[in-house]
Amino acid sequence: MKKIILLFACSLLWIACSNDPDPATEKANFVRVYDNNQFNASYRPLDVVQTADGGYLILGERDISEDGAPYYAGAFILKVDAFGLVVSELEVTSDKVNPLAPILRLGDKLYFFNMDPLTTQAQLSEISPNGNLVATTLVSGVFYPAAAAVDGNGFVVLGYDNATRESVVSVVSAAGTASTQKGFSIGAGDAAEEPIIEHYNRTGNVFPFQIGKTASGRYFFNGFYDYTFSLVFTDLAADGPLGRVNGNQGNGGFSQLMPLEGNRYAAATFSFGRNFLMPSVTINESAIEQVSNLEDASGLSLLELSPNATVKIYSVTIKGTPVTLFASNTVGKQIALYAYDRLAGTLLGTHYLGFSNPFEVGAVTPTADGGLAICGTTYVAGRFPRAVLFKMSAEKVNEAF
Amino acid sequence: MTKTYLLFALMLVSSLTYAQRKRSPYGGGRPPGSKNTFLEKQWWIGLKAGTNLTEAVPEARYSAIVPTNYPASLGEKAYDRFNKTGSQATLEITFYIKRLSLSLQPTYRHSRFTYANQYEWFNPADATQTLQLKYDHEQKTDYAEIPFLLKYDITGNKLRPYVQAGVFYSFLVGATQTVNISGLDVASGSANPLTYPPVIVGAEDLFENYWGWTAGAGLDYNVGNVRLVLDVSYRMGMSNVTNTQNRFSNDRLAGIGEAQDDLLMNNIVISAGVLFPLRFLSTSFRTLD
Repeated sequence: MKKIILLFACSLLWIACSNDPDPATEKANFVRVYDNNQFNASYRPLDVVQTADGGYLILGERDISEDGAPYYAGAFILKVDAFGLVVSELEVTSDKVNPLAPILRLGDKLYFFNMDPLTTQAQLSEISPNGNLVATTLVSGVFYPAAAAVDGNGFVVLGYDNATRESVVSVVSAAGTASTQKGFSIGAGDAAEEPIIEHYNRTGNVFPFQIGKTASGRYFFNGFYDYTFSLVFTDLAADGPLGRVNGNQGNGGFSQLMPLEGNRYAAATFSFGRNFLMPSVTINESAIEQVSNLEDASGLSLLELSPNATVKIYSVTIKGTPVTLFASNTVGKQIALYAYDRLAGTLLGTHYLGFSNPFEVGAVTPTADGGLAICGTTYVAGRFPRAVLFKMSAEKVNEAF
Repeated sequence: MTKTYLLFALMLVSSLTYAQRKRSPYGGGRPPGSKNTFLEKQWWIGLKAGTNLTEAVPEARYSAIVPTNYPASLGEKAYDRFNKTGSQATLEITFYIKRLSLSLQPTYRHSRFTYANQYEWFNPADATQTLQLKYDHEQKTDYAEIPFLLKYDITGNKLRPYVQAGVFYSFLVGATQTVNISGLDVASGSANPLTYPPVIVGAEDLFENYWGWTAGAGLDYNVGNVRLVLDVSYRMGMSNVTNTQNRFSNDRLAGIGEAQDDLLMNNIVISAGVLFPLRFLSTSFRTLD
């Protein structure tokens, strides 16, 4: 009997301690929906980064139709702590519209590009880790910014010049000065320009514009060229593309591209509503190809994804294995994560986030604790677009994949 | 969970074994002049069943919904107190000696408690753009409990009122959560009442084992060789019933903004049953009186 009583007492003590909230656990796993009680408010996160304090910085679009800029998306910056609780929310004024993902990290500073709605010129805004807007610089000569990436000590920006009707690649310094520029004709006629303008005005399809550098050091952009939403390779010296992969006007092309090594890429494409994932595809940077040929050869057709789905691709490490992570949206209104072995291209696992209300992916970022943070949009009460942040611990990520 | 059942079974068996160890040397017969001895020491075993009412007391509040432009308190959950009946069945094993009893009462308890929260979205410039949603939550929990109680009989008559107090340890067996969502949508053209299909989920992952203390009073009524018992107890949970690691683990609940608070669970337990003496069971003997 004494042993039983002792066992009972020990159990009580253990239980009393074991159920206490653990800050490390509270930071490791959470779901947070950032709600605003204004009926017409709309928030759509585009990117998330983890800051040095363990918190997160979320950049997104917001509805500013009532602010006198009906055709563009405004910007918001949400700073949350390591538990996902709000530290500050900045609704960026409507003189900075159409913010571009990703948040660009240059040294210890964070930036994002946006557009001046009056002149349609690009602006470079620096944001502090606390979510404040530090400074904004007008990037003269770069119009209708569509995509941006870090390039050495500066940036490379894809824009559109409606005077010359060209997709324009510009090298921009950290101070916001555009230097080298190269234009690529979208083709003649209003029909070629219409989808681009509708993209900026948010009155039509939102295209997955992208710009970056290949493993060989060339630039690539995913944008309009020669009447088609195409993947174009350039060294910014030669006139015209060094190589390209043609889409199908505005109905097909790359959703996202991530260089692996050599001519190998992880990619996703869309074609008349269908979606294809390519964990490993070889693209000749000096040839002219058709995206449909790549889809036939290397594409995994995922019928569960929503038509022309947003797809984001990331390079992460899970259980010590280099992994290519695809994040996208399903027809069931969930966020889907697909993990592939980066070297072998084999599927490691899938994981779905969100239930009860619709969810759409914004971005994914690896976290310092070995987990993942996934931001996106959820429709609270089935109708109000609001930011959501999922935090998955390393254990949960390892379980999922 | 297997370990939990094993521990439970071991404790039960050990108690019963202990109960049978000191057998009467007189078999089924009454020893000479043994009435007082019988009264001073006795083992009782029996079954009780009844109902319980539950309140959940939030120690720390959590929500998946984090307001950005209104106070979090507006969406805070309001807990109901002792409004839903549950049920329990108890095996009582009691050793009685001189008005004092040491009682082990393994119990299977099913409890329910409820809470609600609500949200409102509106346009200050247009009163017709309003949506109110109310989330009514009901949690059902099943626990296997092991209470250790000390009882004291206030009087020694046929009707024997007593008081009891002790501690208990509750092993989680299962849990479910039901969320009924209703609301009022003014934005669709008129004040349109909304009702959504309930969200029903297994919630076992959201709960943990816990412990607490209990105190109460009751009445024993001796009828022949058996004892009828009726008691009322208050159980106060002393440790968090929430599994803090799984607070956000249920996607269906997180999707509607629900995250389990840190909770203490208190119960009012009413039971009635019958107890049998383990010694001197014979038609020629009466248990008491």
